[in-house]
Amino acid sequence: MMQQFEEETYQDMSLNTATWKRIFSFMRPLRKYIILVIFFATLLAVADVGYPLINRYGIDIIIEEGDLSLLPLFIGIYVFYMFFVAGIVFAFIYTAEKIQNHLAYIIREKAFKKLQELPFSYYDRTPAGWIMARMTSDSRQLSDILSWGLVDVTWGGMMMIGLIVVMFILNVQLTLITLTVLPVLIYLSIFFRKRILKAYRDIRKQNSKITGAFNEGIGGAKTTKTLVLEDSNYQDFDQLTDRMRRHSIRAAVFASLYFPSILFVASIATALVFYYGGLDVRDEVITVGLLYVFVSYVGQFFDPIMQLANSLARFQQAQASAERVVSLIDADLDIDDTDQVKEKYGTIEAPKTENWEALKGDVTFDNVTFKYKKGEQVLSDFNLDVKAGESVALVGHTGAGKSTIVNLICRFYEPTSGRILIDGTDYKKRSIHWLHANLGYVLQSPHLFSGNIRENIRYGRLDATDEEIIEAAKLVGAHDFIETFEMGYDTEVTEGGSRLSVGEKQLISFARALIANPRILILDEATSSVDTTTEKKIQKAIETIMEGRTTFVIAHRLSTIVNAHKILVLEHGRIIESGTHEEMIKNRSHYYKLYTNQFKESLFESN
Amino acid sequence: MKRYRQFTKWMKGYIYLYVIGFFILMAVQYLRTLTPLFIQHIIDNIFGDEPSALPMFMQRMVQHDTIQGMLLLVAIVSILFTIVRLVFVFVGRVLVSLFTENVAYRMKNKLYRHLQNLSFNYHSKAETGDLIQRTTTDVETFRKFIGEQFTDVFRLFFLTAFAIMQMALMNVRMTFISLIMTPVVLTIATIYFNRVKKVFDRVEKAEGKMTTAVQENVTGTRVVKAFQNEKFEMDKFAATSERFRDESMHLSRLMAFFWSGTDFLIFFQYTLTASFGIYYTIQGALDPGQFIAFLALLGMIVWPLRQLGRIVGDFGKTSVALDRIDEIMAEPSEHEGDSDFKPQIDGHITFRNVGFQFDDDTKPLLKGISFDVEPGETLAVIGKTGSGKSTLMNLMVRLLENNEGEILFDGNDIKTINKRHLRKNVGIILQEPFLYSKTVFENIGIMKRGAKEESIFNAATIARVHEDILGFERGYETVVGERGVTLSGGQKQRVAIARMLLENKPVLIFDDSLSAVDTETDIQIRRALMHHWQNTTVFIITHRITTAMEADKIIVLEDGKIKAYGDHASLLKEGGLYASLYEQQTNLAENIRKEAV
Repeated sequence: MMQQFEEETYQDMSLNTATWKRIFSFMRPLRKYIILVIFFATLLAVADVGYPLINRYGIDIIIEEGDLSLLPLFIGIYVFYMFFVAGIVFAFIYTAEKIQNHLAYIIREKAFKKLQELPFSYYDRTPAGWIMARMTSDSRQLSDILSWGLVDVTWGGMMMIGLIVVMFILNVQLTLITLTVLPVLIYLSIFFRKRILKAYRDIRKQNSKITGAFNEGIGGAKTTKTLVLEDSNYQDFDQLTDRMRRHSIRAAVFASLYFPSILFVASIATALVFYYGGLDVRDEVITVGLLYVFVSYVGQFFDPIMQLANSLARFQQAQASAERVVSLIDADLDIDDTDQVKEKYGTIEAPKTENWEALKGDVTFDNVTFKYKKGEQVLSDFNLDVKAGESVALVGHTGAGKSTIVNLICRFYEPTSGRILIDGTDYKKRSIHWLHANLGYVLQSPHLFSGNIRENIRYGRLDATDEEIIEAAKLVGAHDFIETFEMGYDTEVTEGGSRLSVGEKQLISFARALIANPRILILDEATSSVDTTTEKKIQKAIETIMEGRTTFVIAHRLSTIVNAHKILVLEHGRIIESGTHEEMIKNRSHYYKLYTNQFKESLFESN
Repeated sequence: MKRYRQFTKWMKGYIYLYVIGFFILMAVQYLRTLTPLFIQHIIDNIFGDEPSALPMFMQRMVQHDTIQGMLLLVAIVSILFTIVRLVFVFVGRVLVSLFTENVAYRMKNKLYRHLQNLSFNYHSKAETGDLIQRTTTDVETFRKFIGEQFTDVFRLFFLTAFAIMQMALMNVRMTFISLIMTPVVLTIATIYFNRVKKVFDRVEKAEGKMTTAVQENVTGTRVVKAFQNEKFEMDKFAATSERFRDESMHLSRLMAFFWSGTDFLIFFQYTLTASFGIYYTIQGALDPGQFIAFLALLGMIVWPLRQLGRIVGDFGKTSVALDRIDEIMAEPSEHEGDSDFKPQIDGHITFRNVGFQFDDDTKPLLKGISFDVEPGETLAVIGKTGSGKSTLMNLMVRLLENNEGEILFDGNDIKTINKRHLRKNVGIILQEPFLYSKTVFENIGIMKRGAKEESIFNAATIARVHEDILGFERGYETVVGERGVTLSGGQKQRVAIARMLLENKPVLIFDDSLSAVDTETDIQIRRALMHHWQNTTVFIITHRITTAMEADKIIVLEDGKIKAYGDHASLLKEGGLYASLYEQQTNLAENIRKEAV
């Protein structure tokens, strides 16, 4: 089932027309440049075919006649050629690069837009690394192959046609003799190209294993040391690098065979020209200049063939990239608003906020059953009624269904059957964005974006003023520590927010949630231990942001649970006990047991 | 000189491969400059009366009475000559690749071995990403350099030298004329490739920014969606993506300028050579065949010049890569100068006034720690996060070295005992154990390769993880980390315990190693283990007072100092922190009621 996320699949190499059609459709806005690049590549081929003819003119006309008065004309042709080639080279590189960079941009843009629309479930089953690879290496590789492949194929094709046509015009017999080696040349090129590419792919695979081993050697250093596994690890590693070495040498042998074998075939063609062309010169059928042209042309023949073989092989290789990119861009949205809802409430890009009702905050689960796609049933006939402004603490072991309930409220997932009502109306009858606009979410491990603290708090509501941001920070008790930073609110949080402590990051994420002023708040509490002062601050901040909102907490903190209006004890997707803290402690049932087992450690920490 | 040694020290032992390959490739370059001489021979010697530029031994091979015979011989000799040349090409390339791959192989192995031997302190400070970068990308940069660029420099050098030689043998004046533009092209190429590096850096930076934007968006999907900021994210991404595109286009423009500009200069050179060539040919100073040979030899010199400019630029890059690798190699191995003393360890451990502080820290992590544990006894250490519990354990296996007081194992100072020997005798089960990307079966048997299935299953059963493993789709053959297979924290901890059960160690340390397992299972496992390890000295680091209370001796640690030391009963009697914790953890209900009110 994870097969689709394998990077290197060795599927058969048959052409997937549908995929390529889709990829080509992305290129439509670049039509103008495509036509231009084909034009320039053709001109370049013309220039390449024409070059030996200029020298032939010099040999046959000027040297043979010994007429120096024609030399200025010859120089003039050369100078013209110089400008012509330089101009074309500039034009085709520029155009090809333009296609490449813009195509990569288009692919990324489409993929990113899709990523914003895709429901949360997609992220649950798709590794982040997979998505990243599509956005970076695949989009780059594809656009590279498509733009430069286009140049290579056009140039190579035109060059071959040009060479053959001109050769036939110059001398039919000699042309036929030289062309006898052509099929061998083509066969050899394709034969080797395919194998060399495959050999290099094997090397890359092996290489990524070595990278993995390094990663493990570094990440697992402590364990390795304590178990004294250095030697046996080294032996494993040696096996990997040894295999890598053998693979690489094998590939090098293959690659080293390719060029000489082409060279060999070419030398036969050249020898044929030497002999038959020489005889023709002897018999004065052709001139010395023409012999030179044929020898040059034989030399010029390999380049386009090798290029064409190379492009072909790369196209085949790129198909896997293309398929993966298309699979992302065309992924199904399994959660989406119906057309009627879109009509009334608008879309992400064009929301019709004027039609949005105010949200009060009543949340009702009406016989909700939920099953993940993989099959396991998480909730069955779940019922819950929460009034606006109430707080609900969800407790239970991992896998009891806490996260699922929260995901359903957020409409990251939708019920398999049953309904979820917000203010008495099935939430599917309103838009996802209407719901999210009224929803706040505070994560277990707070996710901050790179940028400064101010920007991160503003993320909760993009039009918040600086004063509102400071106000929010004050309310959650973040203002004081922010002020101690040299740069205050302009302090960069750096990637992943590593410069701030976990507790500080949490407070910032609270401020972010507060500024959004949501009607419904989801709180996924952290289990990580923070120092006592921070712990107290966090508790206070939680109380502040919960005030007056409907709140669902996946709770780990004693204080949060104790203060909740309602506690739900979950097991296997069912509520096995519910009530207030005091009631349930008195009952000495599930909650009591869970409580005494699980929460006493936090008591120790906060002591 | 230092630079020179920096490059050659990795090549030791394989350099002979390179030297042989090098001479072969040099010969190849000579042969290559002969190819244009065949056509010269045909035109000037066979059809004219001029001297042939082919070397004498070849001229002798192509003698015949008739023109047809001569042409046939030239054709045959040119094929034979190509066969010799391509055998040389093949052998030379294979030798060079044998050399590079062996150098890279040894380099990676050395790095890996060295990294494993670097101190725990080094590893806890090092950034994994950066180390990986050095061990992979930097090694690859070096490999490419010696295999491709370094060889190319010499290849191009000899090709140029031989081509100039062949030209000079035909006509010295024409040779000078044909070389006029070469310094210009070479200089421009070198400058260009040096300058373009900066632009490259900018492109890479822009790409990095864009990648970060995607990464943050993907990992923060919940936040993005919950705050409904999809549109904002799209705009933010579009800006970075556009920036990347535009920086790339900037690079493209430079590229287009460079390649077309140098093409212009190269064709300018052709114009000069061809014009003068024709002039001299008509004057009689040059033969028509020589003129053609000149054009071909010129091509061999002038086109590769641009590559040379790139290689000069790459030289600096390789040097930086090697510096980064050398930095790792310069770190001392923790086993360097370690003693060979390997006494039998029975498990009598004494701490005398032990203290520890990092060199760059202002506050000691441990101070004045003293206790004594007899073989077979159990000592529990209880304390808050940051109280120094883990540091204490790290000292006992010399992952860190105490800088105050002494630690004695059966009367021997720990610093006199061989590190590996010590670690083989002291089993430590970490709170966050690392599982290798092997099968679960192999992970359990990792210290005892070839262990029987029975003993593995038995160990897993005692550690209460057997049932869990059987529940996996592929059971014991499940590969950890592959295809997203992840074990929960508790499962990992139990696998780590099972792993330890296969060996008998006189000393065992549980570093909070059942923290992710629920209390009931914790108790079950501990009971089973106590039974299994009756004669073992056991250290338990824990949060749970219920776990600690069963130990023979208990240490309460706070801020790196021993706050209380004794057994459960004496500590209770003493009152203080331990007693109040015990009170709270065992009489929760009452406390809670108080709190709730």
